[in-house]
Amino acid sequence: MITGVKITLILLVSTTISSLLLGTVIAIMRVSRIKVLRAFGTLYVEIFRNIPGLFWLLFFYFVFPDLLPPGLAIKLNTYTYYPVVAGIVGLTVDNASYVSDILRSGRLAIPHGQREAAISTGLGRVQQYIHVLLPQMFRAALPPLGTRMVHNFKNTSLCMAITAPEITWATQQIESLTFRGIEATAVATLFYILLAGVMVSIIITLEKVLKIDISSISHSETAS
Amino acid sequence: MIKFIATNKWFHNHHVLRNINLEISKGEVIVICGPSGAGKSTLLRTINKLESIDDGEIIVDGMYLSDPKTDLTALRAEIGMVFQHFNLYPHKTALKNITLAPRKVRGLGKKQATEKALKLLERVGLTHRRDAFPVQLSGGEQQRVAIARSLAMEPKIMLFDEPTSALDPELINEVLDVMVSLAKEGMTMVVVTHEIGFAQKVADRVVFMDDGEIIETGIPPDIFVNPQHPRTRNFMSSVFHIPVFGETEEEK
Ligand SMILES: Nc1ncnc2c1ncn2[C@@H]1O[C@H](COP(=O)(O)OP(=O)(O)O)[C@@H](O)[C@H]1O
Ligand SMILES: [Mg+2]
Repeated sequence: MITGVKITLILLVSTTISSLLLGTVIAIMRVSRIKVLRAFGTLYVEIFRNIPGLFWLLFFYFVFPDLLPPGLAIKLNTYTYYPVVAGIVGLTVDNASYVSDILRSGRLAIPHGQREAAISTGLGRVQQYIHVLLPQMFRAALPPLGTRMVHNFKNTSLCMAITAPEITWATQQIESLTFRGIEATAVATLFYILLAGVMVSIIITLEKVLKIDISSISHSETAS
Repeated sequence: MIKFIATNKWFHNHHVLRNINLEISKGEVIVICGPSGAGKSTLLRTINKLESIDDGEIIVDGMYLSDPKTDLTALRAEIGMVFQHFNLYPHKTALKNITLAPRKVRGLGKKQATEKALKLLERVGLTHRRDAFPVQLSGGEQQRVAIARSLAMEPKIMLFDEPTSALDPELINEVLDVMVSLAKEGMTMVVVTHEIGFAQKVADRVVFMDDGEIIETGIPPDIFVNPQHPRTRNFMSSVFHIPVFGETEEEK
């Protein structure tokens, strides 16, 4: 069960970070002026958001290795942690599609004047994003982003389907090996509630720390 | 410093700039006025290519804006712009709003950039507000920070698009005072405004625009008090309530 918690934590932390990164890249593509990037971003979201996350987990675990050269496939299939790796990839591509949607709305909520001010002081494209747009996108998107990340946390339990030994998988194992299912379920429930609680308090703290900026964003919108 | 040659621009089918020819020398202060929708903002925004033109040429500081080899980012760093709605970065303090571009574009160190920003805050009378976020500042204070933010790049040209029209009347003068002092120091300025007092005090020339065209250009008294073109006359009498030679309808 301790291993289960560890694996769930690994899945949670790594997919939170990687889906945030991937989601940001996709969001920027979707508002890009370059048509090909925009089309790619839209295609990504349409594909990954409309197909269940469980499908992607199964895909990366069972199908993906077969698409590779045989030597590599065998290596992956015999790699002890491949279920966890496939889990991370599957959850990331799934969650990133939602994250990019949330960040895209955040981007669209920023008044045009922000980018124009940045341009007129000579900031380049990348600098505009890093210093002016992204900070405002994340602030505006924080509440729905937090909800999304808790959702993603719950989705880590789907990884049991590909034998990644996370909490739910461990619970099942204990139940079928020792028939002490009730105790195992109780402990698993406790861990889930605890972890979700920690996440929510991190999100609330972030919202508090950044609150002044959020109020100013909505203020400048009403002003213009 | 800035030269428009037979410039035209359309928004779809809407002809917003019609054959604009205008030359602005170094150190000149130009005021642009005219009715809403005349194309004043668009004209101003073509100077740093926030808007591109469809026809003609604009030369700024010797650089041709239509030339793909022109380094636009570098040119924009030399042109300050002040907006009607200030457009301060809401997630940064007044000080950080000012230091961002000097640090990232000019490569100044944190200490140097801060020193420079503090000098500029002092200049606009806001040293005590250095750590305030935009939401905590009044409109007049925000606009003064915005001017300081532009000046921090040591621009060769400053563009102002109705910098006081979003302000409560009692806050207008604190912003105009900063602009007047800037004009007196010899800054090249293009200012879209209907502040006649400002124009009388520092404008070298006033440009009157209507329907995408420059209708007439002249020294402030000529345009405000003694306009030649009937469209200018109509506009002046309706907006500024200036009786023009007793020729308005009511006075007949
Ligand atoms: N981005 C745009 N797309 C389409 N039409 C625009 C756009 N910006 C301005 N216009 C139109 O161009 C005309 C000139 O606008 P503008 O330069 O803002 O006038 P002014 O600043 O003199 O009020 C107006 O009729 C306006 O509706
Ligand atoms: Mg305008």
